Amino acid sequence: MIDCTEAVRRMWAYLEHELDAKPVAEFEFHLETCQRCCGELEFSRHLREVVAVGEGATQVPPELRSRIETLLAKADDTNRGTA
Amino acid sequence: MASVVETRATDLTGPIARTVDDPAERRSFADVAREQLDRLYGFCVRITNDPNDADDLVQETLLRGMRAYDDLRDASRAKGWLFAIATNASRDLFRARGRQVATVPFDTMDADGDDFSLFQTIAIEDPFPYSDELHLDFLRLFRDDDVRAVFGSITPAFRLPLILTVVHGFSCKEAAAILEVPLGTLLSRLHRGRKQLERGLWDYAVKNSLVTTTDEDER
Repeated sequence: MIDCTEAVRRMWAYLEHELDAKPVAEFEFHLETCQRCCGELEFSRHLREVVAVGEGATQVPPELRSRIETLLAKADDTNRGTA
Repeated sequence: MASVVETRATDLTGPIARTVDDPAERRSFADVAREQLDRLYGFCVRITNDPNDADDLVQETLLRGMRAYDDLRDASRAKGWLFAIATNASRDLFRARGRQVATVPFDTMDADGDDFSLFQTIAIEDPFPYSDELHLDFLRLFRDDDVRAVFGSITPAFRLPLILTVVHGFSCKEAAAILEVPLGTLLSRLHRGRKQLERGLWDYAVKNSLVTTTDEDER
């Protein structure tokens, strides 16, 4: 049996599928009897989605992209043996 | 702490580059780099917390990648391979410039930050008394810029595991390999990053008047 403190500690590792079978079984057994931890697990899923969307949307600035394209074009030329 | 398989995963020819491409079908470095460019740049911005340093870091990463591409045995694992190069290049960049990555410590946080639970704090403070989705409504307060601001204030050693796993979808084992730390260390840092994130979101919401706390109600 694990308590809520331990369940919360395992929660993100559980969502990452990084727990071994025994800790998973203990965690899921705890969830069967703990509405609060079920709620926090669901909240953790949503929190991770918010982070993934908010942090993920980054685009290379045009000026930098242009410099990189020059660099990569040289790499392409080298590959073809034309440099 | 839950038991985990303790693995040191530092060899990039192992978990990140396992199989060998057919030379005839092997994609060029330029193609691979173009495909990963936005993701790589986003990662460099998060490592450096500085757009100018991110520019330098992404270019240095590509230069190193170009030189080492023949060593990458499986081009389908190029993303992790490039992120590992960027991580190493960032260390050299900061060393050369004599600086550490800027951090904003959370004064009110203990060493582990384990005391704080965002889920419980929202329930106790009840910032939306008439809401049926109290916790979700709290998350809906945050725009992308707000999330980035909070993320930027997390200690880098704890932020990077979050970025690699939650944002970029690497497994913890892959993230451990990229950061060159044992899996147990990665999981511990992930937990501490999560706690800093939770604390940061709440503090940000209070500071920017996105929520009203009990103390303010009583004034």
